[in-house]
Amino acid sequence: MYEQIFESALSARGSEASPDWRYLFYLRSWDAFLALSALKYARVFRDGTAITFGDRSGSYEALGRVNGAFAYWSPWTRKVYSAFDINGLPNPNEVLNPAWDIEYAFAPNSGAGTFIDDIRKLYFHQPNSNRLDILDLDTGKKVDEIVHNAGERFAAIAWVQQGQVAGLCRASGKMRIMTYLGENRVIETGRISPFKVAAYDCEYHLFFTIGTDYKTRIFCREAWPAALSVPVFEPAQVYGFNANEVKTRLTGQDGEPCPGWWVHWALEGIGGGLPIGSLDKAVSETDKDGWAENYYYAPDSGQTGQTKIKTSVVLY
Amino acid sequence: MSLWLIQTKSPCMSYIDNGFCTPSPQPRTWKGDHWEGYYNPWLVTCPRHFQQTTSSIGHFYYDPGADMLRAIILYNTTYWPSWDAQRLDFVAETGEWFNREAVLARQVFVGVWGTAWTGKATMGSYNKIYAPMKTSTEIKELNSLTMEAVAGGWSVNPYTWNPKSQYGFAVVNRVDNLLAGVGSWTMDCWSGIDATPVRFGQLRLPNVLDYLAYENRNYCWGITKDGVIVKADYKIPRWEMISTVQNPAADARGYAITFDTRRKRVVVFRWRQDAADGACQNQLEFYYPMVNPARLTQPVPVTSLRAGNRIILVSHLIGDAGEGLSPYTVEGEMAAPVEGQLITPFTNTERSGKAAFQYQAPPDGPVTETLKINTTVEESL
Repeated sequence: MYEQIFESALSARGSEASPDWRYLFYLRSWDAFLALSALKYARVFRDGTAITFGDRSGSYEALGRVNGAFAYWSPWTRKVYSAFDINGLPNPNEVLNPAWDIEYAFAPNSGAGTFIDDIRKLYFHQPNSNRLDILDLDTGKKVDEIVHNAGERFAAIAWVQQGQVAGLCRASGKMRIMTYLGENRVIETGRISPFKVAAYDCEYHLFFTIGTDYKTRIFCREAWPAALSVPVFEPAQVYGFNANEVKTRLTGQDGEPCPGWWVHWALEGIGGGLPIGSLDKAVSETDKDGWAENYYYAPDSGQTGQTKIKTSVVLY
Repeated sequence: MSLWLIQTKSPCMSYIDNGFCTPSPQPRTWKGDHWEGYYNPWLVTCPRHFQQTTSSIGHFYYDPGADMLRAIILYNTTYWPSWDAQRLDFVAETGEWFNREAVLARQVFVGVWGTAWTGKATMGSYNKIYAPMKTSTEIKELNSLTMEAVAGGWSVNPYTWNPKSQYGFAVVNRVDNLLAGVGSWTMDCWSGIDATPVRFGQLRLPNVLDYLAYENRNYCWGITKDGVIVKADYKIPRWEMISTVQNPAADARGYAITFDTRRKRVVVFRWRQDAADGACQNQLEFYYPMVNPARLTQPVPVTSLRAGNRIILVSHLIGDAGEGLSPYTVEGEMAAPVEGQLITPFTNTERSGKAAFQYQAPPDGPVTETLKINTTVEESL
């Protein structure tokens, strides 16, 4: 589970009593979000301020676009159009897929997002809940696929950085960060709370959601620790006169690694006795895979017996 | 960019007072030798006591020759023939109703040609007034007082263009041979209107348009039926700005917009519901195209909230439509007791209105801190 860093007190509703939010996109030039309901456009800020500024028309459906932008697909022309930066409205003067008409079967909808990289001429479509197909924007032919096994279609596919997109699952809150340049695969998995609509904030690398309760929530891309594993020796046999490597792993709720946390180490005696041997470090930091390591020095006096290694992490 | 409300003239006009109201006035009927009763008797049904009410805004435009804002208002009336159309002149500087006496004496009657049969007029090239016709598909140059087509004046017929088009609103730029026309949701931008017109671009509006106004050879302004004001560059074409009228209250029945090219400001005519006694509440709103800060959003952390971290908090200074405002200085202040340190005591807003603050969290703790931010906006007009 990613760390939730904010929950709004305000309800992101705009002028509608119960808006049926369908799409949400981060706009860099606004440093805010465009939310689309069935009828309205609204600008949503991180604190939950939502300002509706117009009515939707033209039956456009929205999709993610390269470089942190977004675009609109028109069911009348089967073309994808860019969006105006100033107000997020479709710009019918710029067609992003001049060669291939995107039919309904490949079109975005609020339940299954699509994505267009018109610079590299790629189009992302979800044929099922476990796979993302990458199509050539000129021919509509499939060029590759990414198997993500989320078990749910991504409600949105959003741009993260060059060559990376994020897939956001509405019901399970599962997140997949995927790379699509060269190697096409999932490079990071995580989870946030379920939401109504969500977007990826590519400025600060956050997940931003509006829940069914209309509160906005922000999650940073760092897993919040949930479990610290039992310390293990490597190799398992401990010798005297030796620095024996011992490791513990800090993980989140779904087993994802938690890097950059300080693990505190201590020795305790058994049954009220004194601890045997000593530890190299009192604290050590978890690496990018969540492992923190230390060395245990066994006594060189030939003493035998048992001692306990206690590890802990202070969560703040 | 945004819009700063300079002043509101409310009400900017009034109706002819009937002097008294009647609990159940009779409809107008022929009594053998004379007429009795009222047209639109509801107008004088108590507590209403005026002989007129607005039935629509015919036209609203800035007439640079006279330096007047002119509105042609269609009325429902109690007197014959049950409707009226008068031209109201307002002083462009103040919004003062210049021809009040004449209008209340019903002396500025504009015939049906100039009102019901002419589409929404606005100024265009050479300080002339243009409008699409309702009786034909043409866009014509109009007499600036009567709204009737000038005999032998300039005209084009978009219905003969490719694709065939018909508009309710249009801005005419004869210098560059450009024309922007709107039916309802879409603004079509045409070039070469003197020879072979080409529709070179389109802009989709955020709602159904209520009025379109010309600013200059590049820009035009539109107001939608829900009070959203947009500025477009119809030469490129692209949107330049989005904002809204202040207090887009539910009692607004319609809007019209014009651009005062002399004072470089936007004027909105708001048609409002009559008061309970039938009194006119229509108003003029003068906006200057510059920032009008409406709110400062709550500072929100955008980095992991861990001890010892340098935490970034982001707030936005925005206008009525959520448009970002810059440059303003936003000051931050921590409420006591302060455990960490506010690294950024003040910052400036970026183009999006964003103001970012940095806070250094103490190395241990959990702590609870309060950041208060404020900005001072000085009216410089």
